[in-house]
Amino acid sequence: MFDESLLSRLLDRALQHGGEYADVFCERRRTVSYRLQDGRVHDATYGVTLGVGIRVVVGESAGFASSDDLSSEAMMEAADSAALIARTAPSGKTAAAELRNENVPKLYDCDPVTAIDGARYAALLERADRTARRYDPRIVAVNAHVVDELQEVWIASSDGRFVRDCRPLVTLGIQAVATDKKERSSGYVGDGGRTSIAYFDRQTPEMLAEDAARIATVNLSAVPAPAGEMEMIVGAGGGGVLLHEAVGHGLESDFNRRGTSLYSGRVGERVASELVTIYDDGNLHEERGSLNVDDEGVPGQHKVLVESGVLRGYMQDTLNARLMGAQSTGSGRRQSFRFAPQPRMCNTYMPNGDSTVEEIVASTQRGIFAKSFAGGQVEIAKGDFVFMVGEGYLIENGKITAPLRNATIVGNGPDAMRKVVAVGNDSRLARGHYTCGKGGQNVPVGVGMPTVKISSITVGGTQT
Amino acid sequence: MNDARAIQLACEALELASAAGAQTAEASVSIARRFHAEARDNAISKLEASTGKGLFMRVFRGGRKATLSTSDFSPDGMNDAIRRAVAQADQVAVDEFAGLPDVVAGEAVDLALFDPRIADRDGAEKLDDAIKLERLIREADARVVNSSGSNYTDAIAVTAIANTSGFSAVYSWTRAGRSTGPVALDGGVKRIAHYGTAGRYLDDLEAAGSVATTAVRRAVDLFGARKPPTMRVPVIFERDVAATFLDDIFAAASAGNVAIDNSWLTERTGSRVGSELVTIVDDGRLVGKLGSSPFDGEGVPTQRTPVFERGTLRTFLYDTYYGRKLGAASTGNSTGGGIGPNNFYLEPGAMSLAELIAATPLGVLVLDTIGFATEHASGTYSRGARGFFIENGELAYPIDEFTVAGQYVDMLANIDSVANDLQFDATVVSPSFRVSELMVSGN
Repeated sequence: MFDESLLSRLLDRALQHGGEYADVFCERRRTVSYRLQDGRVHDATYGVTLGVGIRVVVGESAGFASSDDLSSEAMMEAADSAALIARTAPSGKTAAAELRNENVPKLYDCDPVTAIDGARYAALLERADRTARRYDPRIVAVNAHVVDELQEVWIASSDGRFVRDCRPLVTLGIQAVATDKKERSSGYVGDGGRTSIAYFDRQTPEMLAEDAARIATVNLSAVPAPAGEMEMIVGAGGGGVLLHEAVGHGLESDFNRRGTSLYSGRVGERVASELVTIYDDGNLHEERGSLNVDDEGVPGQHKVLVESGVLRGYMQDTLNARLMGAQSTGSGRRQSFRFAPQPRMCNTYMPNGDSTVEEIVASTQRGIFAKSFAGGQVEIAKGDFVFMVGEGYLIENGKITAPLRNATIVGNGPDAMRKVVAVGNDSRLARGHYTCGKGGQNVPVGVGMPTVKISSITVGGTQT
Repeated sequence: MNDARAIQLACEALELASAAGAQTAEASVSIARRFHAEARDNAISKLEASTGKGLFMRVFRGGRKATLSTSDFSPDGMNDAIRRAVAQADQVAVDEFAGLPDVVAGEAVDLALFDPRIADRDGAEKLDDAIKLERLIREADARVVNSSGSNYTDAIAVTAIANTSGFSAVYSWTRAGRSTGPVALDGGVKRIAHYGTAGRYLDDLEAAGSVATTAVRRAVDLFGARKPPTMRVPVIFERDVAATFLDDIFAAASAGNVAIDNSWLTERTGSRVGSELVTIVDDGRLVGKLGSSPFDGEGVPTQRTPVFERGTLRTFLYDTYYGRKLGAASTGNSTGGGIGPNNFYLEPGAMSLAELIAATPLGVLVLDTIGFATEHASGTYSRGARGFFIENGELAYPIDEFTVAGQYVDMLANIDSVANDLQFDATVVSPSFRVSELMVSGN
């Protein structure tokens, strides 16, 4: 639908006033989703995102324009708008290199002409609803959604790269709400990946719904979280949100090139306990955060961010890599053709350590066990972060005791990473449903983690 | 010119929907020209300018509903997407409440939402706006060593809605904003702050000098911040933080959440929830404000809706669907696909923020929070925060890396002072207020 000669002409036009680099990102995406509430399929949505984004880079500056009108005049007009940046900053003329078609790795299957069988989606939701309600009579509501997305991209850059990719993404999300006479609580579980809806033949809606219902009912008897500093155990899988927020964002190259991250200029330095190793990997088979190529056409990579406590490198997109004298790590991502790319995470995780979960729990006198996080946020200059615990328990004298109600964890990234005192041997990726927001752009990501113990952290509960 | 184009596209979409088998349908089209300039180090670092279109539709067939969103306006693309959406309705359960609204906007009202000065503003002037702000933050304090960028943004847009009952209407709007993120060096620690202003009119924006001063003060005033002790104290929420608290109140008052049992306000209508000082209003008719519009996402006229009056919960906020489902009329809060705020705000009090601080012998002033509510069923509030510890009515020392936590119900009940600093610089806004007792968790 977008051929090489068209993209070549757009690149030439984008560089009309000069510039060191230009790229064109064309996207066609269809999104099918169904939503269930009150025990029945309540809504069906069909969405199309179609358009082109054009960028021109001059030194540290970038001009960007997009068009959802694919007429030749409208696309050329977008190239003209993007080219204006070269008027504000002096730059030599560059000619776009001849495009060469590059093959991409194949981490996932993708068929852009798959027929949409609505009954199949509806059945997944109805099975989830039935299972959650059967689990416990205190489950009073189930809300569920399934999203099946297929994104085709055509990316061309002035250094001659031309690639196509087709990216599937499925997600099933289930919320169960429980009430008894006094309390009301909910449990949420989501799963999916870069694959087809057949994924839920293996990860069945029954498995997921049962877990959502279990969390909702457990939380009914939850006690208010304690307040103050204590030990914390972070659960395997979903605990990886901690790495994403506490370390990952601070290692994105835009913040480091600009010097606004606390990790700026610190490659080679010790930034965490020697038990801490962190990878970001765009190459994992069918994972939610994986990419055959990123949104600048660069293949995804396995990146060592932190190795035995030492900072090894940043996640680079082309703009920041060029300015920092580095190579892109395949981390340039964007929400859609309407946005310029930013360096972003793919699947961020910590590999196995030596401890068993039993040892880690037994060694904890007074603390909290955060099995999963419902979300988090970081401020990258100083590194302060916050996490909302999704499923959490109190630990007293080496034993897991009461479930905790809506605890929040607050801390500082490097401080928490220095206080990692045990790493479990049970590393795994969390179920694929996380979305990362940065600069007004959302992209799907994966997180993973073994069970990890942090010697001291502030828990923002209400009980002294 | 875009007004007519937007209406025409909406009407074309309706014809395609009828041809595809929809019995009734509604189409909204927006066309927006957006501009963003970011300056860093006295140069423009980002320049983005685009015109974008979007079609959003709801189609109904045999009591079933499906929705569609697309940016593909080619004749084939539109036809294909609409056919698929109509076909998808087959999997949806018959729902007696689904359908077009009973009442739609009549005569046009002029809410002064369009500033021709923004539409006509010269490109070079917009770039200067960003560069000037970037220069001002660096001049304001020598400790500002860096920035995450200073921004000028604007949008010039039309929104049109039409439905198969013959309704069609359109309005134009503008929006502009400036914001900045200075970074100051506090020994080895980088402290960043963000502050900005926005409005429908260029003249409504806070002056660049004042934006720069506030942003820089928020970074440098926190120098040397430490954790506060863990304790129960009165907590003052400065207006921007108070607004994020109001976001959560809006979510709980949204009939969409109430209907799916995901709100702690469920079953509390008519009862006293907040203190005497809690009057919270949703008003879509404030002249020239960011949350104002003549009609909502399904063409229902907007209105002024008191949600809490002197602490009593009067109503939830409805679109047509959830109104029918819960037995109420729409309050003009449809976004097309869901329920959203118009101008949603807490009524201001008489005291200034400075007077409020002076009237607090011991407490905490919260200037910024991170984190967000993920679950509205249980109604627990908990956020990471930074700000000041207050002793003897004065800001004693800066604090960070702590949380404030409590139940929303208790917090509304314990609001014992509301300041007079309400500004309509977003759709959900609030004056600063004080909660008489909250758990602060630090050391």
